[in-house]
Amino acid sequence: MQIRPEAPAGPVRKRATMSVAFGLLLEVEPGIEIPGIPDVDAPHLASQPPTRVRLDARELERRWSTADHTPGSVRELRDGETVLLSVELAPPAGYLLHAPGYARILIASDGTELICDPEPGSSEWSTLLPAQALPMAATLQGFEVLHASGVVLQDRAALFAGPQGAGKSSLAAALLHRGAALLSDDTVALEPRGDALIAHPGAALLQLRAAERDRLSARERAVLGPPETFLDKQRYNPTLAASAAPFGELFLLERSTHGPSIERIEAVDPFTLLASTFNLSVRTPERLARHLDLAVALAATERIYRLRIQPGMDATQLAEIVHEHLAAPS
Amino acid sequence: MAPTSTSELLAARMRLPQHVLHRSFVAETVVLNLRTGKYHGLNPTAGRMLEALEAAPTAGVVVPELAREYGVEPAKVEGDLIVLCQGLLERGLIEMVDADPA
Repeated sequence: MQIRPEAPAGPVRKRATMSVAFGLLLEVEPGIEIPGIPDVDAPHLASQPPTRVRLDARELERRWSTADHTPGSVRELRDGETVLLSVELAPPAGYLLHAPGYARILIASDGTELICDPEPGSSEWSTLLPAQALPMAATLQGFEVLHASGVVLQDRAALFAGPQGAGKSSLAAALLHRGAALLSDDTVALEPRGDALIAHPGAALLQLRAAERDRLSARERAVLGPPETFLDKQRYNPTLAASAAPFGELFLLERSTHGPSIERIEAVDPFTLLASTFNLSVRTPERLARHLDLAVALAATERIYRLRIQPGMDATQLAEIVHEHLAAPS
Repeated sequence: MAPTSTSELLAARMRLPQHVLHRSFVAETVVLNLRTGKYHGLNPTAGRMLEALEAAPTAGVVVPELAREYGVEPAKVEGDLIVLCQGLLERGLIEMVDADPA
């Protein structure tokens, strides 16, 4: 008879969990829950070194204070006098994101580690991870992240880029009712793979302002599940695309008195493509070159469309037009 | 730096510094300076001129070739080429080197 030794006494140490987002395999320390990014069993990504996400205010401070360079500001988002987000760079420590009232997150220069220091009492600090920090880590690891919403329909990715308030999120939301799966409502990570471009899912989050939500039908809203209020928006957790998908189309949303209409752009303006990036903070030569090459790759697909939207047009009507276009044989 | 005469300019070889790269799109060529992070747009004719300059032993050599290609007088091409070279030189997007000895 074999006697199994007893487990040693002591506190039970929880293990890190694994998640996948923006093309990254994430190893997330216990105590961190990333909104819209659930734990997964991802054996197919086991060969990929994980990106570690952890809580360690002391280590963040140590690395930042011992950096070789004086931190330099690379980006600041403001609402009037109020700083909403600042990004500083100090090699070799990396990029420090600071959202006052939420958290500081130090992202290693190669994007493989994120050290978080939430502000006391901030219950929503981890929203900074899918909203800003993880897309930036993906950029540092060689992905190009577009400021776009995206869905997967018929096994290919359809992306929607345009100015703030153009209706990117509500259009993606309305397409979910028509059988699409969400890639992201704000940031889509693209990866050149051979001659193809692969679009990776981000977070299962979809945020709509009241006016955007009201442009959806009751049936479209039902697909999104129950909302929760986050800042001035309603936040939903719809089903995310199960895996990455090959690039299908990019729609550039434009407000117009004419339309609605979809037309293929024969000679796309490269500066429009370059401006569709989500990340303006990483300015290394390698990244700048990659950014330009992604614009070349997108233009070479010849599947970039102008999507004209009339003011006040509801997302349902727009989704019908887009869905019809996507469902048509190419 | 003393201004370069047009004859000196046409006799020199033009090359892109290592920190400058360019990519062609259907209706525009984008030139990127990796040191400054600045992008510059060239129309298709200027983009074609830049391509030709990169491959030519001297700037002047591309004049007859481009004049034939576009069906215009060489003097017109030469004038446009000089303006383009001066603009690119001012912005550090090309550099002048002595022509390769024949």
